[in-house]
Order: sequence, then structure tokens, then C-alpha cells
Amino acid sequence: MDIKDFIAPFAVWKRAFEKPFTVKKPIDERPGAPRYRGFHINDADKCVGCGTCEAICMNRAIDLVPVEGRDAKEGDSGLRPRVDYGRCCWCALCVDICPSGSLNMSNEYVWIDSDPDVFRYTPGVEPKPWDGSALGYRRAEGYRLLDGTRVPMPELDHHEAVKSFLELVRGWSREQAEKEADRCVSCGLCIASCPAHMEIPGYIKAVRDGDLETGLRLLYQTNPFPEACGRICTHRCEEACSIGTDGDPVAIRWLKRYIADQVELADYSKALPRKEASSGKRVAIVGAGPGGLSAAYYLALLGHEVTVHEKDEAAGGMLRYGIPEYRLPYPALDKDIGYIESLGVKIERGAPVGEGRSLASLRERFDAVFLSTGLPAAYGLDVPGEKHPRVLDGVAVLAAATRGQVLGLGARVAVVGGGNVAMDAARTALRNGASVDILYRRREEDMPADPDEIREAKAEGARLVEKAIPLEVKDAGGKARFVWNEATMVQKEAGKRPVPEPIPGAIHEEIYDSVISAIGQGPELSYIAEADGVEIRRFKPVVDRDGLATAAGKAPVFAGGDLVNDRKDAISAIADGHRAASAIDRLLSGKGA
Amino acid sequence: MRRQNEHVIPPETRATPDLSSGKYLVMWQGPQHPGITGNMSLRLVADGDTVVDCETHVGYLHRGFEKLMERRLWMQNFPLVCRIAVPEPDFNEYCYAAALEELAGVTVPEKAVWLRTLSLEMIRLASFLMWIGGQAGAFGHGTIAQWSVTMRDYVLDLFEELSGGRIYHMYIIPGGVRGDVPDGFLDHVLETMQVIKKNLDDIELVMFHNAVFKMRAVGLGYIPPDWVDKYGITGPNARSAGVARDLRKDLGYLAYPQLDFKLITGGRSDAFERAELRLAEMYQSIDLIRQIVARMPKDGPFRERLPNPLHWKIPAGETYVAAECTRGEYGFYVVSDGGDKPRRVAVRGPSYTHAVSVMERLVRGVNIADVAGLMVSLHTYPPEIER
Amino acid sequence: MNELAKELAARYGARDWHDRRGDLSSTVVDPIRLHDTLAWLKDSAGYAHLSFATAVDNIERGVFTLTYTVRNHEQGHSLMVHADVDRANPVVDSIHLLWGQGWTYQREMKEWFGIDFPGSPRVDEEFVLEGWEGPPMMRRDFDSLAYSDATYEGRPGRVTHDPATRMQERLYPEAGK
Repeated sequence: MDIKDFIAPFAVWKRAFEKPFTVKKPIDERPGAPRYRGFHINDADKCVGCGTCEAICMNRAIDLVPVEGRDAKEGDSGLRPRVDYGRCCWCALCVDICPSGSLNMSNEYVWIDSDPDVFRYTPGVEPKPWDGSALGYRRAEGYRLLDGTRVPMPELDHHEAVKSFLELVRGWSREQAEKEADRCVSCGLCIASCPAHMEIPGYIKAVRDGDLETGLRLLYQTNPFPEACGRICTHRCEEACSIGTDGDPVAIRWLKRYIADQVELADYSKALPRKEASSGKRVAIVGAGPGGLSAAYYLALLGHEVTVHEKDEAAGGMLRYGIPEYRLPYPALDKDIGYIESLGVKIERGAPVGEGRSLASLRERFDAVFLSTGLPAAYGLDVPGEKHPRVLDGVAVLAAATRGQVLGLGARVAVVGGGNVAMDAARTALRNGASVDILYRRREEDMPADPDEIREAKAEGARLVEKAIPLEVKDAGGKARFVWNEATMVQKEAGKRPVPEPIPGAIHEEIYDSVISAIGQGPELSYIAEADGVEIRRFKPVVDRDGLATAAGKAPVFAGGDLVNDRKDAISAIADGHRAASAIDRLLSGKGA
Repeated sequence: MRRQNEHVIPPETRATPDLSSGKYLVMWQGPQHPGITGNMSLRLVADGDTVVDCETHVGYLHRGFEKLMERRLWMQNFPLVCRIAVPEPDFNEYCYAAALEELAGVTVPEKAVWLRTLSLEMIRLASFLMWIGGQAGAFGHGTIAQWSVTMRDYVLDLFEELSGGRIYHMYIIPGGVRGDVPDGFLDHVLETMQVIKKNLDDIELVMFHNAVFKMRAVGLGYIPPDWVDKYGITGPNARSAGVARDLRKDLGYLAYPQLDFKLITGGRSDAFERAELRLAEMYQSIDLIRQIVARMPKDGPFRERLPNPLHWKIPAGETYVAAECTRGEYGFYVVSDGGDKPRRVAVRGPSYTHAVSVMERLVRGVNIADVAGLMVSLHTYPPEIER
Repeated sequence: MNELAKELAARYGARDWHDRRGDLSSTVVDPIRLHDTLAWLKDSAGYAHLSFATAVDNIERGVFTLTYTVRNHEQGHSLMVHADVDRANPVVDSIHLLWGQGWTYQREMKEWFGIDFPGSPRVDEEFVLEGWEGPPMMRRDFDSLAYSDATYEGRPGRVTHDPATRMQERLYPEAGK
């Protein structure tokens, strides 16, 4: 102890004349730091109500609530997160994980009220002074809790692919599939968009858990064509995927394929439900496409005896005759169909309904009939010269390829159309060594075909000619001289898609060995007689919600698939088949319609 | 009466005073005590104004974290762990993250290693600043507490800028950290270090050259070196007893092996020297922060991507990850059964022994007025006892 | 460290030695030899520092797995000593004479898991749970959420909606018939 120990403490007095450390509220403002984790803000238009914020919140501070003026729609539940600040701990994991990036935080931290219940609100819906705040916590660049990048799918090199009909998409290994399945947040926004409302989060979880038998069981609950749909489905689910709001959507279709590929057909019966005891009822199905066989599967499962009448020599419909084998190899399709047949479904191949086997006779012999004859008749080009021998029908070309017939398309091929049939025909022609032009009335972005198919067709060497309106097909020494008029896109009505208008004088022509017309197909309804009581309107049987087409009479007639619905894809046909099967079962078992 | 430089070793066994004799006074100190020891209470038995027996009582801050963690996903526990030691949340974040990374076989990017080290040193400084205010306050020097708590707030301003939170930073996330430093942040760090260093010089002058502090702290709470292992004493309490242990050196975690610093030890092992030693460690922290700022990589990723937090499963296993916090060995024992939630998480905080066994023994024979000062000199935080 | 493993095996029947990290290993002994193992590690093997002691409820195997982590500062190595005790009759020798803070861990394990350490000071006193009447709270079969739901009232007005269910109700209510 020395004298300094008595004097030094008085040094504190020197601070009496310094500026104090305190902030003079409210004279001096003290805003939160730019990264401050303050009250939530949410871009309610960007938010899709997936509830991932709620799932990660360890305090259960978030509820998903309906908000006025926002109903559910595809890819949006219409719900929005409501934050209870009695529980929120401001950790911002909800911001970190938000798939769309709509949920953020402002840097505002002062909010005083005597009513405790106001500290619970729906950001972005109930206006607050800090809405739209530019400052506050955001996910740092390069930092995400979720993975926005899809696991790459191994595919054949395009130069290789075009040399054969080998399957282009090779499928995932277990590690790849589990990694992709891990990206899913199980929000379930996808289910509504799937025509069959498949239990998508459930089977993706099964992939993650490595429990493929559960996965297969979930697939078959709503879809007996997992091998086919796992390859060629139009995957509307992926458009609804919340991960896709700011990244690649989860590859739901490939995960479905992974499950079906991994389980051997011999093991299916272990995973899938047994069929119920025989009901003694008999159901006839016309057309062994995805719709008809889906109905057959669910009816057989319910104990009914099912006979399918198929005009072609093999079952599968468009899946077999319309989709080339490099997209859907026949063994994969045969696996789906094989399992359906293993339940005792009888498929009579090469047995068209019509003359000699009328619909009326089916209604006599069976307790119910389901029509799923699809759209087998291709539309013509509807221009002068459309009957030229070198003008071919796209669906017929694809069917011939399936049958292994020599196509004889020649060296220069034009494909007219922008749908999947056009792409498939073009790529089939490429695989036959032709050089291919795809001519389409509108622009590439207007094409109804799957973007992957367009991309692949181009990668394989097809040339795309956009805005080409067919005018005429002339003969050029046995070849076809295809004449078209170049168009410009005109916005005629606001809010509607622009229409192609011919540019006067911009006429082009080219000589082709073959011109494949793939501009759409129509139904073949001649087998339905007026006496059958099936009302036809605009070339479609008129059906109710369950697919019932007859009001009264003998055995009820149902219809579904491309024949009836507007979506015209396999998964919609499968959904129709399932729905009709349930309705038929209710009728036959007397449970009421 | 205790005299300066006299090493009184309190008896090992508890006194058994006859409370019905009327000679003794039973009094409770805490749980609402202004000595910044947090909420815990001491049941003191005094003979005159000398404590003869003490029982510690904890539980006022028990929130069941270890149980809660078993019910939450691995990543959901990340915002939870920081609450276990309020003034030093970052050590919880680091130990939890490092344990998960070890079990999951994840390597953290270099940049994150440095940012983690920076955060841990910054919070060390902030925690010591809060402690020194408490230590001064316990002996009636409230002015120092006002200065040092302001200085702590300046560090918290830095955390606010870096992480978006002042108290709970939630910055060290499994896989790395949540963001790179904002523009200008490192300059702010260096400016703040300058201000704090100047303030520490003032504190050094008025607190450590102060007759009152010397009279009361010198010789108070002597910890003999052989207690260190016997009671599991760590940190400045052990180093002041001359035991040269510092996990930053011993375990060599994060960027510490690349930093230049010396172990600070003492030998007198009383409240005054422990305070001196902590003051020296504050200067050392400032130096370390400057080194980190100078040597930290400028670019590069700051987080390793982990699986989706909603499904993340960690392979079965167990580990114990420790770090040197201001008070000593802070550690997380984490057990995974291979699931998406922890099987067990146990937190080891230094106060578990410092505030209970060591305190109960050291307080025997101490004047009632010195109990608070003694407790603060052990630098204890009750929440890490009860979790 | 393998010499230590051998020595512990020979002296106390220690087994299942695992090197978790360069500076962290674990081993298992019978509960009856736990005290002697720790005493030997502390007094003769340089593992003088007790980092912590705790238990894990391995309810599936019907045991509590005790974990004592001791550290040898000179060699820079930590060792986790495990012992499985019968969940139905969890009684373990006390280590309060080995380490001055041992009794606190034991008091905690008594309160949180119901593991008894006869002779340990104040082992039956409440530790952190004042007035607790439920079962030992860290046991796996104590459901803290169910307890909380039964004991406390939630905030009124809290209701949440599942997105997929909501979308079914609004977009395709006919499904699932």
C-alpha cells in the first residue's frame, strides 16, 4: 500500500467533464444495426404458405393462418405465417430456411402497447410501420440452409443418345436419390397439383429413410404406373414445389422412378396390399392404356373381376405406342402392367370393341364398363396437299417404331407441331439417321411440350423453325415440298397469349423426304352407338365428377383418360381410372353413388 | 480478523453450529443480489459477522435445456444453447456446433474458423468487462461498473453489427458461421478495441491502485494449488493458483495455435490477484482480437453446406468438446443415437464447481460483507450450473 | 494410450476402448468397479481432473450409462469412463471423497435420473427442481411436452393449419371419399 493507492481513485473525477455514454432517447435515435434481427417482414405475394418456417421454429412461435383475399391455388396454400412474439426468440432460422426467401426481418425493435395480444400478427398481411424495411436481417449471400440445386441426373451424351434407342436418363444411385430426397421440406404443396394427388412427401421420406417398400406402397395408393410415371410424367407437382420458388424444384418424378426401379417385381406383393375377397361382380374396360389399367388395378384390388379389351397387340396404350423407348423402355412399362395382371386382371389383346363386340353387348355381360380409348386419330395438317404420300402421321410413326417396323423416313424430315408427340417423332427420326426440322406456329416458349423434351430434341440436333404457319404441301418428284408462311406474334387481347399472324410475302419452302404431322389427335368414337345412352358433346363423352357417362339403362358406363379430360396426360388418365374404379365399386357394392 | 497476505485455508469439513444456542445468525444472501452473481442464493450461518457455514442453493434459472434439446432437431437446438450462459453465449454455440461437426464428420471452412475465434475473443472481453464491473461494485465501486458495462455494450454493438443480435448472437451455426463480416466491421472492431483499451487503463489506475480494493481483496478467498484438481478448478481461478492450464493452449482448437499469446499465471491466488489476472487477460484478448483481424482470411466460404436441417441425422456416437471460456473449461458432451435429435446433451460449466463446492468452502471464516466480493472473484454464472 | 487400455483391462476389467479423437477416448467398466477405476486413474495414472459426470438413459437396454470424464493435463488426454447401471435399481458408489465437486454431480443425477449414490452429502436434497413431484425429469420416459400440456394452459387463439390439408379442403374436397 503506498500513497498512490489513496490518490489514484480520484482520477474518476476527470470523467465528470466528458460526454456521457448514454443515448438520449427520444432525442437521439438508435436504429438497429443493418443486420438487426427485428420484427418480421414477409412478402406475402412471394410467400407460398409452405410452412417451412413453422417447421423449423423451435419455439412454436409460428402458425399458418388463412388470410383474406388469398385462397389456395396451385403451388400456394393461401396460408401465411403468423408470428407470436410471446414465443419468438428472434433466432431467424425461419428466415434462413424460407424456401422462397419471402420471410425476412426488419431492424426495428421498438413496439410498445398495453395489449399483449397485439404482439401476434401476420407479417406482410397486417400492415406495420416496418413493412418494406430495407434494413434488417437477411440471409447472407452464399448461405442457405436448404439446397437449391438438384442432384444432377446422369444422362447419355447427346451424340451417343441419338445413335440408339437406349434409355437417355440413367436413373440415380441410392446416394444420389437420398441426397435429392433430403432437399424436400415435406410441405405438401405438390399434392394438390398432382392429378392423382399422390402422397409425394411420404414417398420422398421413404427414399430418405431407405424404406422403399413403404415408398412403393405409397405410390400404389394412387398410381399403379410408377415405372412409367417415374419417367414420362408431366410432373406438374414439380411446378408447385416450394423449393422451386428459389431454386430447382425437387425432382419428384425421378424419385418416384428410383423407388420403382429399386424394388424387384417379385418383391412387389410383399409391399403392396392384397386384393380383397371376390365380390362376384364383373367389370369390362375398353382400352389398356394408363387410364383403363389404373381402373383395372383398383377394381381388381377391391375384389372385382376385370376384363380389359385392347385393340392393339400389346397393352399400354400411348405409353407403349406413343412414347419412344429411349424415354420409357418397354421392360419398365411391362413391369407396371405385369403387376396389374398378376392381380388377375385379364387383358384381351387385339380385341377391339366395335363390330362384333359392341358396347351394348359388354353392358349385357358385365356389371359395369369403363371406357378409356384415348385419342388415337391424328389431326391432318389441314392444308392443300395434306394427303401427299410423304405426309405422315406422328402417332403412326411412333407406333411403327414401337412395332419395330422399318420407318423409311428418308434423310430430310420435317416435323410439324410443338407438343410432346412432335418432339418424340423428331427424336425418333433423328435416331433413324435423318436430319430434322421442327416447324411450329408460335415461339419456343409457347410450345406445349415438356421443356426437357424441347431442350433434348435441340441438343440431339433437331433444328427449330419457329413461327411457321403451314400453307401447302406440293409434290417434288416423290418428295414433299413443304411451304410455310413466316409469322409474327401479335398481342390481340390483353392477358391472353399472343397469336401468330402471317407476315405477307414471307413464304418459305423446303423439300423433305417426309413431313410428319404432329399437331394433335382426336378420339375414335364410332364404337359408341346412340342407343348406348352415352351423351357425346364436342367429341367427348359427357361424364359426371366420378366419370359416369350414362344416366340409366343396363350396366353403367364410365369414361376417363384422354378421351374425357382436358389435361391429356398419363397421370390424369390414371387419376380418372382410380376415381372411376372407386365409383364403380360404390355402385356395385350398393354403397350408393 | 483476516490479514493481508495471510493464507487462511478454510476447514474441509462443515461446522455443525448449534443453531438453537442463540449464538448464530442464519441469513440468506440471494437470490436477488446485486453482486452480479446471477440468481442463486447462499444460506449463511454467521457467528457475529463471520460466516461459519454456507449452503448454496441453485435452481432459480433452471430451464431444462438438456431435456428440451432431446426433443428438438439438431439444428433447432442451435438457437437454444446460447441461453445456457447468458453473458457468454458464444461458447455454447461453439461447443455445440463443434460437437455436431465432429460427430457428423464435417470440416468447417478456414474463414469460419477465424470468425469463430473472433467471436469467442470478443465475448471473452465483453464477459470480463461485465465481471470487472461486478467485482468493483461488490466492494462499493459502482463507477467502474458504469464504465465497464458501457464498454461491454460497445462490444455488444459489434456483435449486433456482425450477427444481428446483441445478447444472443446465434452466429456460430453448425457448419460454420451465419455470415461474413459486414463492410467496415473490422475497422469498427479496431476502433472499439482502442476505446476499450483506454478505458481499461483508467480502470487499472482507479481500481488496482486503490486502498479500499486492496484492503478488501488481498488475501480474500485464497485457493491453494492442490485444490485445483481436487475441485476441478479451471480458468483464471486455477491459473492464479499457479497452475498453467488454458484450453486455448492445451487443446489448440480453432485458430488459437496460429495466434501469438502467452499463458498468464499467478501464484498468490487471492481475489486481488485473480482480478489482476483477468485484467491482464482482457488486454490479452484485445491483442488477440487485433491479431485475428490482421490475419483472418479476407475471402472464402464461411459455411460448409449441411443436409436439410429438417431431416438431418447424425451418426451414432458421443463426444465431449471443450473450450476455454472466461471462467475456465466450458464443454458440451453430446450423444447421438443416429437420429434426428440428440440422445443427450450435457453441459459442463466451470461455475458448477466454482460457485458450489469451492464457494461453500472458501466462504468459511469470511466476513459477511466480503461474501459478495468473494463470490464475484470466483467469476460464477449460475445458469450454467442448472442448465 | 493402448498401454492404459491394457492396464485398465487387467486391473478393472475395462473394455470397449474407443479413441474418439486424438485427445479423447472412452472405455467401459462394470459399475461395481467404477469407484476404484476412477480412484486409480486419479491417483496413479495422472487423470486428476474431473471434467464432469453425468448419465444417459439407455431405456431400450434398461440401463443408465454413467459417464465420468477425467483429464490428464500432462498428457493432454481425456478419458470418458462409462458404466451401465440397472435402470430398475440404480445404485452407484459415491465419488465424493475423490473429488470435491463430486457430490454435486451425484445430487444432480439423483434428482434428474433417480440414480442413488449412498453416502453422498445432501444427495436427497432438491437440486434445481423446487417442489418437483413428477418422475425424475431426465428419464426418457418422462414426456416433458405432455407434462407441459397437462400442467400449463396454452395461449388462447393459437391455431395453425397444415398446408396440404388446407389445399385439399379448398382445391379438391371430393378426394379421399
